[in-house]
Amino acid sequence: MARAISIGRVSSRLGGVALLALLGSATVFFVMRAGQGDPAIAVLGDQATPEAIAAFHKKWMLDDPLVIQFWRWLSSAVMGDFGLSMTVAGGTPIMGLIGSRLPNTLFIGAYALVIAVSVSLFAGTISALRHGKFTDTAATSIAVLGISMPDFWLSYVLVYGLALGLGVFPSYGFTPPAQSLTGALYSGFLPALAIAAPMAAAFTRILRTALLETLYRDHVRVARSLGYRDAFVFIHFVLRNALIPYVTVIGLQIRYLLGGTVVVERIFGIPGVGALMVDAAFGRDYPLVQACALTFLLSVLLVNFVVDLICAALNPRQN
Amino acid sequence: MKAIIANRLALVGAIITAIVLAGVIVGPWLSPYSPTDADFMALLDPPSGSHPFGTDSFGRDVLTRILYGARVSLTVSISGVLAGALIGTTAGLVAAYFGGWWQAILMRVSDLLFSFPSFVLALFLMVVLGFGVVNIAVAIALIYAPIFARLSRNMAVLVKDEPWVQAAALMGQSTWSIITREILPNIAAPVFVQVALAVAFGIVIEAGLSFLGLGVQPPNPSLGSIMADGREYFSRAPWVLTLSGVAISVALLGLNLLSDGVRDLMDPKLRARL
Repeated sequence: MARAISIGRVSSRLGGVALLALLGSATVFFVMRAGQGDPAIAVLGDQATPEAIAAFHKKWMLDDPLVIQFWRWLSSAVMGDFGLSMTVAGGTPIMGLIGSRLPNTLFIGAYALVIAVSVSLFAGTISALRHGKFTDTAATSIAVLGISMPDFWLSYVLVYGLALGLGVFPSYGFTPPAQSLTGALYSGFLPALAIAAPMAAAFTRILRTALLETLYRDHVRVARSLGYRDAFVFIHFVLRNALIPYVTVIGLQIRYLLGGTVVVERIFGIPGVGALMVDAAFGRDYPLVQACALTFLLSVLLVNFVVDLICAALNPRQN
Repeated sequence: MKAIIANRLALVGAIITAIVLAGVIVGPWLSPYSPTDADFMALLDPPSGSHPFGTDSFGRDVLTRILYGARVSLTVSISGVLAGALIGTTAGLVAAYFGGWWQAILMRVSDLLFSFPSFVLALFLMVVLGFGVVNIAVAIALIYAPIFARLSRNMAVLVKDEPWVQAAALMGQSTWSIITREILPNIAAPVFVQVALAVAFGIVIEAGLSFLGLGVQPPNPSLGSIMADGREYFSRAPWVLTLSGVAISVALLGLNLLSDGVRDLMDPKLRARL
């Protein structure tokens, strides 16, 4: 595990991330401008006079060539300035809006990831070791049901079952982690669980398959025949190998996990970037939608970068 | 033994999917109720003989609305996914066969689209394209095209060096006929699995967008908009939200089992080749 990952690999991956981030910003910007929506109409309404629209365009500098607008937007975005919100919070800097909400979204995402990983490590191991037995059948059946429950539907099952039915967790509202970590863990549990459940199901399935594939390999049989204890063989020879596909799938699922925050934040009233993006979509706050989409893109790119490094550390052959 | 289990999975999945499809196609004709007309004599009636799934706050029969709504959701998802599969698979096959800069561009584009959370991408496209049913299908097609492109490209690269494809080229078959008659049939199974999975996720995207109010607009039903209605009066009429949620889960379960089963069935061949 301690084997060093080559600096060259890290920097080339980092270069790839930077290139994708740049391509992503360009795509988000130009696709947004290619849409038929005029921000002036969104802000001023359908009855706006041509003069008012022209003045609006002038104020937001929307008449300049697109490339120049893109350059202006990108260069200030790199400096941490996404411009001002148009309708949702008229005139407020977007950076502040996102900055105050991003920790909540990342907290819920990380929370969901921790739940999904712990549940799947446990369930996947148990069902692989008890392959074909009742526990395995039960775990795999629950996993199939789990991936057939969209997060917003599961949210309501949790709200009406646990929150309102048993009264154990709040059904609405969120204490930000910056205010109180225990409060955030408590109030964020149901939303994180709603996002985590389908993920946990997917992770359990891949871990079970990966474990079953390594469990009967020759090197495992040799290790066992040498008299190592079962737990030792399992951790060092089986799990270690199965972790590679497992972590890879976790990396691939991160985008679904972060996508899941959008609806769940709305349902549970969590002030996060997802809920902000929905508000921005309704208000046709184009710069804000753009900034939210980019924030999500950057989050996924960074997480995937980390996952990539973990995979490289787990599998030195890749280097 | 494994083949039988896989077969049974695929079979159960296929049966559930067939029942869902039949219900969605035939169901609305059999129902005596309208999905949109209000009936103020039957507001929020619990499930009974005349309304098996009860009624909603406008007195509309929930079963009828779910059948019509599932028809909308499935149509949107299937048409979006098929369009995405058609575009993506074509692009992927062309990339695999001809390589070069087209392949490089295609792979970068799909890398990029893979880095967006899918629901965020859907939301973004809805803002760009405008809210509405047709645009959800377009968004689903755009989300899925790169996935199909990458899948078919990766499979086709493996297949195109097989001896029989080389032989077909030597025998003077045209490029078009090699792609459609030699390569395509050999990548059809994984593409089918991906279609089933994508339709399942397309239903989730449509339902999610309509649930937020960005998709199908009331009074027209879709699985998501019925759920959105149902949450507002859950305490008085829990059946609306619950039964529409169950309907989504049943549809997803069928598609997931079907794709799982088919994937297991073709797995040995796939593993031998990879």
